[in-house]
Amino acid sequence: MSNTSANLENSVNLQVFEPHKASLPPLIPYFKEFWKRRAFAIELSRFADKAEYLDSKLGKVWLVMNPLLLATIYFLLVTVLRGGMKSNEGITTLAHILIGLFTFYFAQSCISSGATSITAGGRLILNQAFPRALLPFSSTISAFYQFLPTLPVYIFVVVIGKWIFPATQIPGFTWNYLWIPFIIACVGITGFGLSLLFATLNVYFRDTTKLLSYAMRIWLYASPVLWLPDMLHGWHRAILFINPLGPVLSSTSNVWIKGISPTSGELIGCIAWAIGSLLIGGFFFISRERDFAVRI
Amino acid sequence: MPNNLAVRIEDLSIKYKINVDTKRTMKNALMRASKGEQVRTRTVEAIKHLTMDLPHGSVLGIVGANGAGKSTLMRSIAGILPPTEGRITVNGKISTLLALGVGFNPALSGRDNIILGGLAAGMNRDEIEGKTDEIAQFADLPDGFIDMPVRTYSSGMYGRVAFSVAVSMKPDILLLDEALSAGDASFKEKSFNKMRELCAEARTIVIVSHALATINDLCDRAIWMNKGSLVQDGKPEAVVEEYLKFLKVGTLPSNYEDM
Repeated sequence: MSNTSANLENSVNLQVFEPHKASLPPLIPYFKEFWKRRAFAIELSRFADKAEYLDSKLGKVWLVMNPLLLATIYFLLVTVLRGGMKSNEGITTLAHILIGLFTFYFAQSCISSGATSITAGGRLILNQAFPRALLPFSSTISAFYQFLPTLPVYIFVVVIGKWIFPATQIPGFTWNYLWIPFIIACVGITGFGLSLLFATLNVYFRDTTKLLSYAMRIWLYASPVLWLPDMLHGWHRAILFINPLGPVLSSTSNVWIKGISPTSGELIGCIAWAIGSLLIGGFFFISRERDFAVRI
Repeated sequence: MPNNLAVRIEDLSIKYKINVDTKRTMKNALMRASKGEQVRTRTVEAIKHLTMDLPHGSVLGIVGANGAGKSTLMRSIAGILPPTEGRITVNGKISTLLALGVGFNPALSGRDNIILGGLAAGMNRDEIEGKTDEIAQFADLPDGFIDMPVRTYSSGMYGRVAFSVAVSMKPDILLLDEALSAGDASFKEKSFNKMRELCAEARTIVIVSHALATINDLCDRAIWMNKGSLVQDGKPEAVVEEYLKFLKVGTLPSNYEDM
């Protein structure tokens, strides 16, 4: 027994739990623990995905079909509202709606599944001590893996579109495509930050996710998905920047549809919203997460 | 904290605020705010000024009626619930089994669930993957069940797997809350042996159980808690005897006021 006691002394793993108010725990140990357990978040997302689509062979196909069908409906709607459009313009509009919806859905999926991750992980939270931010993080990873297969579908639609309507505005390959990983990262970080915020709110107010589903719909209409960012002029362009997803969606449109790089204003907007959401959501979440076990 | 201690609890109090009113929704909060009403809450003192030291290698049993604060104490030692007052110092790696089958997804196989459970408990993937067969064997899973969905398991199998994952972590401190009721007699014997083995390696075990014979069998020390306070701390037989008297007669021992 004394031998093992000596081992324990050598590997001192001292933890002190003390009262806290709504303030942050020591952040360095928190992030170290977060990083140490990242494999848990990744596997949790992989297993959640596996469990969800275990019984349905078409399961994963729906991830692509759903936005694809919705994009078609929105496209028809926009075409009818505008009283028809030329085929070149049509394919550009369809491509814009499609990539906008895919990108918006990525953010929406981060936020809405992240928002329920804490309340749904109740038993896990009551049994294990771990950085709770791993649960919304796992939802963001799931959302990312669900978003990835939509990109080849998009590229396929654009290539076919360009082939059938060579005069369309959609560019072929441009080096500006190198901006895409950056834009996707900004969407993911903004989505993760906001999911932390809504996950915390949902612990205190259980109808948050219900309200969120309506809010997301309004948010979609207020975002440059069904309309082009260029339709806004002058001070109206502020609408793009007060929307957390405005700058990323308008950058997406610039890169994919126009083949140009995002403007410096859009880049600043993307970075500012990503960092801002992460800091605000992270602060709100981490400062309250020790309260979750009591509230759940 | 002295090196021979696994857990030191100093003047620990834990209070919760319970919302007495209807459901906690934004709609209700807004309605209440518009009427100028306050949220009606009740404060529950789950643990009141508890002080206790637990040396490495001890097996502590906690007894007490429902609402005594046993599970709250376990969760606070695990770092899940923060203290309202006081301080808890823990020296060593903790493994918890506080609610059966936690983190288990019924649609996934036993193997997947073991990996997920191990990762949640802080093991790395290689470590847990190397142990899945050992865990399945310890849990007495029939052949092939490890790769079947957990929803096909009996509740005994479910509990045995959860217990096996918790002990396979080789924790310095193992916290078990009503976790021993899962298996049949032979598994119970096996789990007792496993715990004695852990104990011989100077690992510390804390057990909450309503099965008082288990406390007598396994523990070298027991505490009795009542409504958040420590009533008695001593040899398991003595504590269990007093607790049984209390259950029959309903009065606390005369020395309770001194504690």
